[in-house]
Amino acid sequence: MKRSIPLLLAAGLLIVIVGLLIAETLTVKVQTTSLRATPRFYASAVQTLSAGDKVEKIAAQGGWFQVRTSGGAVGWVHSSAVEVPKFDLMASNRVLKTQASASEVALAGKGFNKQVEESYRAKHKGLSFAWVDRMLQIKIAAAQVEEFIKKGKLGEFGGGQ
Amino acid sequence: MSTARRPALIPVIFLGFLLLASCAVVQSGADILADAGQISESDRQSILKTSQAVSATFSQITEEQEYYIGRSVAALILAQYPTYDNPALNNYLNTLGQAIVYSSSRPEIYAGYHFLVLDTEEVNALSAPGGFIFISKGLIRRCKNEEMLASILAHEVGHVCAKHGLQAIKKARLVEAFKVIGTEAARRYGSEELAQLTTAFEGALGDIVETLIVRGYDRKYEHEADDLAVKFDVAVGYSPKGLTDFLQTMVGDTSTASGKGWFKTHPSAEQRLEKVKNQIASLSKVPQEAQVRTQRFVQHVASLK
Repeated sequence: MKRSIPLLLAAGLLIVIVGLLIAETLTVKVQTTSLRATPRFYASAVQTLSAGDKVEKIAAQGGWFQVRTSGGAVGWVHSSAVEVPKFDLMASNRVLKTQASASEVALAGKGFNKQVEESYRAKHKGLSFAWVDRMLQIKIAAAQVEEFIKKGKLGEFGGGQ
Repeated sequence: MSTARRPALIPVIFLGFLLLASCAVVQSGADILADAGQISESDRQSILKTSQAVSATFSQITEEQEYYIGRSVAALILAQYPTYDNPALNNYLNTLGQAIVYSSSRPEIYAGYHFLVLDTEEVNALSAPGGFIFISKGLIRRCKNEEMLASILAHEVGHVCAKHGLQAIKKARLVEAFKVIGTEAARRYGSEELAQLTTAFEGALGDIVETLIVRGYDRKYEHEADDLAVKFDVAVGYSPKGLTDFLQTMVGDTSTASGKGWFKTHPSAEQRLEKVKNQIASLSKVPQEAQVRTQRFVQHVASLK
């Protein structure tokens, strides 16, 4: 009976670790992104995700994560669009601190934000942001990029690699 | 261990544990200890300062902050160069750019990548953090095919992916900014904090713009961007020869060597050419140029006035 206590503890710890690995929550860190039907940018969108949205990681494949939204929708997001939490206690203090506080700042929208830009612009009234805003209006649909690649015999459509 | 010593040990163990945690946790932990009278106010301050200074690196700049820095850097670049308002050409440039972005190491950034032609004959390409990428008419004229243009855009996307612009920000500005970020809980700042942040913001913009326009990136960043350009080219299906072909046109070019732009801010074309050629030679398979791409490139660039 005495010997089973460490065993139980070890089993308990294993369950906790496995639980952490399985139920990994990712946070969307870009303004908007698509939850896609397959792990490709050209795939059809299941739904739109916004900064701060939380999704549960189900699987990973070549730079993509299969995730489930709080509403139960399942699809793929690119790894660069989400913040991956780190539970690596072996990492140095510095690395751990950097990652944790970066996500805290991201969640709160703190630091150099819209308010700071407004304050900066008030000090530099001659500086125009008109073309910056126009640039942001240029939106190229994934389908257009796919056609461009296809017509240009690039990538998987080229056959020359 | 005597029971009398135990209370003194508890805060030490507590803080040791907190050091494994985040900046904000260190802050709240230090606050708790100070409130409990376990540490003095000056100790509390120094714990906070250390935790903030240690973590002040470019990698801590969030996607949203990078976007706001990038917007202003882009505005400052556009204060120096006129834009070329040619929707068809800019559409072609953005479609090509997006194809590269999808195959890059950082395809998703806060507000996406956007490309724009600058109305200048100066040979130059610039990228602001947050994905604002500019290419001059003079540089497009140097390109003979889509592979060359793709390689230049891939080089600039590479700078954004690797956050080279953000690395130009002096550490002191980040320490200053993170001090305010760390102590303020609210998303909206009071006037004093806002003034401090705005000063740090101005400083950061100055650091980046000076690097982009006047001083140029550190040589190693240019080579890294070339390295990424070759990788992205191959991943999309472009021949990386586009980059060597372009660099070849720059070798021995003294026509604009004294001016500003690419020649002033980039390492010599010879050096870059050698490294890129070696990199391409080490690849087992490289895509080939295609006539259909050169045709559409020539078609789109024909509208260049």
